[in-house]
Amino acid sequence: MVSKGELLSPPGSIRLFLGNEAIARGALEAGVGFVAGYPGTPSTEIIETLAKIATDLGIHVEWSTNEKVALEAVYGAQLTGVRSMAVMKHVGLNVAADPFMTLSYTGVVGGTVIVTADDPNMWSSQNEQDNRFYGLKSYIPVFEPSDPGEAKELVKVLFDFSEKHEHPVLFRTTTRISHVRGPVKIGDLPQYKVKGFFKKDRPRFAMIPSHAREQRKTLIEKWPSIVSALEGFEPFNRIENPGNKKIIIASGLSYSYTREALESLGLYEKTTLIKISTPFPIPNDMLEPLKDAAEILVVEELEPVVEMQVKSRAYDMGLNAPIKGKSLIPVIGELSLDKVAKAIAEFHGIETLPVNLSGNNPLTKQMELPPRPPTMCPGCPHRGTYYALRKAVNKARVKPVFSGDIGCYSLGVLPPFQEQDTIIEMGGSIGLGNGFAHTFEQQFPIAIIGDSTFFHSGITGLVNAVYNKAPQLIIVLDNRVTGMTGEQPHPGTGLTATYEETTPISIKEIAKGVGLEYVDEFDPFDIDQSFKTIYKAILYVKTNRKPALLVARRACALEIDRRAKRRGINNPLYQVVTDKCTGCGVCYNAFTCPAIMVRDDKKAYIDETLCTGCGVCAEVCPFNAIVKVKEGDPEWYDLWNI
Amino acid sequence: MKKVNILVAGVGGQGLITLSNVLAKAAVASGTKVLVAETHGLSQRGGSVEVHVRMGDIYAPLIPIGGADILVGMELIEAARFLYYLKKGGTAVLNDRVIKPAVPGVKEPARNNLIKYISSHTGKAYLIDALATAQKAGSSLAQNMVLLGSLLSTGLLEDFVSKESVIRVIRTLRNAEINEKAFELGFSKTNILRRI
Repeated sequence: MVSKGELLSPPGSIRLFLGNEAIARGALEAGVGFVAGYPGTPSTEIIETLAKIATDLGIHVEWSTNEKVALEAVYGAQLTGVRSMAVMKHVGLNVAADPFMTLSYTGVVGGTVIVTADDPNMWSSQNEQDNRFYGLKSYIPVFEPSDPGEAKELVKVLFDFSEKHEHPVLFRTTTRISHVRGPVKIGDLPQYKVKGFFKKDRPRFAMIPSHAREQRKTLIEKWPSIVSALEGFEPFNRIENPGNKKIIIASGLSYSYTREALESLGLYEKTTLIKISTPFPIPNDMLEPLKDAAEILVVEELEPVVEMQVKSRAYDMGLNAPIKGKSLIPVIGELSLDKVAKAIAEFHGIETLPVNLSGNNPLTKQMELPPRPPTMCPGCPHRGTYYALRKAVNKARVKPVFSGDIGCYSLGVLPPFQEQDTIIEMGGSIGLGNGFAHTFEQQFPIAIIGDSTFFHSGITGLVNAVYNKAPQLIIVLDNRVTGMTGEQPHPGTGLTATYEETTPISIKEIAKGVGLEYVDEFDPFDIDQSFKTIYKAILYVKTNRKPALLVARRACALEIDRRAKRRGINNPLYQVVTDKCTGCGVCYNAFTCPAIMVRDDKKAYIDETLCTGCGVCAEVCPFNAIVKVKEGDPEWYDLWNI
Repeated sequence: MKKVNILVAGVGGQGLITLSNVLAKAAVASGTKVLVAETHGLSQRGGSVEVHVRMGDIYAPLIPIGGADILVGMELIEAARFLYYLKKGGTAVLNDRVIKPAVPGVKEPARNNLIKYISSHTGKAYLIDALATAQKAGSSLAQNMVLLGSLLSTGLLEDFVSKESVIRVIRTLRNAEINEKAFELGFSKTNILRRI
C-alpha cells in the first residue's frame, strides 16, 4: 500500500499509484470532507488509503456497517454542504440502491460522488453486473476512466460538476482500473470543509408522495441541462483523428485497449476514435461525427450500455450507417487486447492478425497441471470449524444443507470440506436458511456466516429467524476482522477505519438481545470442544425446533502471522514424526493445511516456512504423529487474544 | 513501438505484487510509462496468481495471450500454467521450486518434467534456487527479490529500467538490507539453463 509520504507527494511529481489510490488522491485534491463505504474487492483500497490520512487532514473516513448505511451517511453529510464520497463494490450498490434511487430526486448540496467498483470476469464476485445501468434508471450521470492516471483527474473534477449541478454522480471503476498500478501526476491539496449546516427544505428533502411528485418533475426538467453541460468535457471526452469514415466509440478502459490495438494494427490514423468517459448520458458533441460515418463500432466491456444509446440516438439523427458493438465484442468477461484487435480487424475487413494479437495459444503441446484454487491459509481457524462441523453432523446423523455466505470461508465450498451449498450474497446464509427451515422435511439447515458479514446484513435475517421461529443452526465464524478484503476492522473489533478505539459490539450479546434462547461459543483451534459444542447445538435445534447461534471465535491467522513477523515474535513449530506417520492422509487430504506436504511414501511432512504454529494438525492426526518440536515465544500466544 | 511485457506467475502470498511494484516504481523513476495489473481479494489466498507488468508505449493493462516477452515464475507449476502468455522463443526466469497445491489427492508433476516443458517453448530459460538464495540473504521471504535480481540480470529491461533505480526502491522497503542482499545475489547467481 502507498505510504503516507507517497500519498502526500509534492504537486507536480509523478508517482506509481494503484488505481484505487489514485481515486483516493483525486478525492483529496477535490477537498472531500466525508467518506464512507464497506470493504469489497475491487474497491477496498480507496477507503484504506483515505483512512490512513484522515486524521492528519481532519476529514471523516469510515467503514460503515454496510453500503446502504454508508450511502445514507454520505447523504446526510453532503446535505450540510460537505463534499462527500460513498465507496463500494458493484454488488454493494444493490444494497445501497434504495437511497441511491432517491438521491437524484432531492439532488445534493455538497459535491457527491458514489464510487462503484465493478468486477468484469468475477475475479472476486458472485456476478459481473454492469453498474452503468444504475445511471440510466436513476438519472445519475455515470463516468468511467481509461487508466489510473485519468481516474485521479476525473474524480477531482466530478466533485465540482456535482456541486455545480446540485446532482450526484456515479463514478464507475473496474478491476483493471482499481487494481492496476500506473503513473499518476500529483496535484494540489485544497483546504478541507469538514463541517456544515443543514438548511431545512422539506419539499425538497422530505419525500412524501406530494413532495416526491414535484421533485420528479424538477429532475426531468433539470436533466437536459446536465446532458448539455457534458459537452466539451475535455480531455476525458475527445475525438481523435476526426474525418475518417470508420468510427469507433470507446468508453472508459475500453479506450485503452482500442487505442493500443489500433496502433498495433497500423489502423490508428485511419480510424476516427471517439474516446468517452461519459457512458451515460453521452453528450451531443461526441455523437456529431457519426453524421459522416460509413460504419460505426462501439467498444465496451460487459453490457451494450453505450451501444444501445448510440443506436437510439442514431435513429433520431436519421443515420443509416451500420452500428456494430456486441456482435463483435464479447459480452461475457473482461476485454483484452486480442479480443479488441479481433473485433477491429473484422470491422476494418482485415483477415490476418499479428501472432501476438491473434488470441491463439502459442503452445504446441499442453502439459497437464494440477489445479491450484485459492485456499484457506495455514493456521486459518475456518479449517478447524469446517473439520469439526463435518464430524458433528455425521455424529448427529442429520442431512445438512450448508447455506453459505461471502468471505474467505466461501472457500469451504471446495473439497475436502464442501460445506457451502449455496452462496448468493452478503447475509444470504441466514436469509436462505429462513426459507430452508420451513420447507425442509428431512434436511437440516446450517447457516455459515462471517463476523463482518453478520454485521453487514446477517442481523436482520437473525431477527427474522427468531420472529418466525425458523429452526436453523447459525454459525458465525468470528475471526476478529474483515478477512478476505485484507483485514479491515469492523463493529466487533473495537476499532474504526482510522484505528481509533470504539465500543466493540458482541455478536453473542446481539443474538441474546434479539431473543435467541440458545447461544454458545467455541474455539476452532480446539477440535474436540468445537465438535462437542456444534453437536449439542444441532440436537437443540432438532429437538426444540428453534434457531440456535454459535460463535466460532479465533483470530485470522494471516493477521496474527503478519503481526508476529513484524515484531519478530517466533511461533511454535510442529513436525511429523516419520516413524509414527502411517501415511493415512488425514492431515493433507481431509484437513488440507497448505503447510503439510506429502512425501513419495505417502507420509506427511511440514514445510516450516509455511507453518504458523496453530497446532490443530496435531489434534487431527489419529496416530499422534505430529508433535511440537519448538516452543513459540510467550508473546505469540498473547497475539491471539483479540 | 518499443514496449516490453512481463508476466509474473506464482502462488498467492509469495510476494509477486511487491516484486512487480518495485520494478514498476523503478521504471517510473526512470521515466518509463508502466502499467501493472494485479490479483487481489479472494483469488489471492494461496491460489494461482498472475501479475501483468507492461512498460513502454502501452495503453492496455493486460498482456495478450502469446504476447509476453518474459515470464517470471516464482514457482514451476505456475510458470507452466501461465506459459501460454509467453511468446514462442521468449525468456523465462524461474524459481527452482515446486509447491504442492493444497488440494486433496493431488499429484504434483515432477520438477524435471516441468522444466523440460517450459524450456521447450522458451528461447532462454534461467533457473535459480531462490529459496536457498533468499535464506542466505537472511529471510525466505526475500525470494521475490532474488527473482527480481535474476530478471534484471537478463539485460532485457535495460531500455526501460536501471538497476540503480531498482535498488533505490528496494531501500524503501521494510527489511531493506535483506531485500537488497537477496536482489544482488539473484542478480549475480543466475545460471543459464538452456539456450535455443
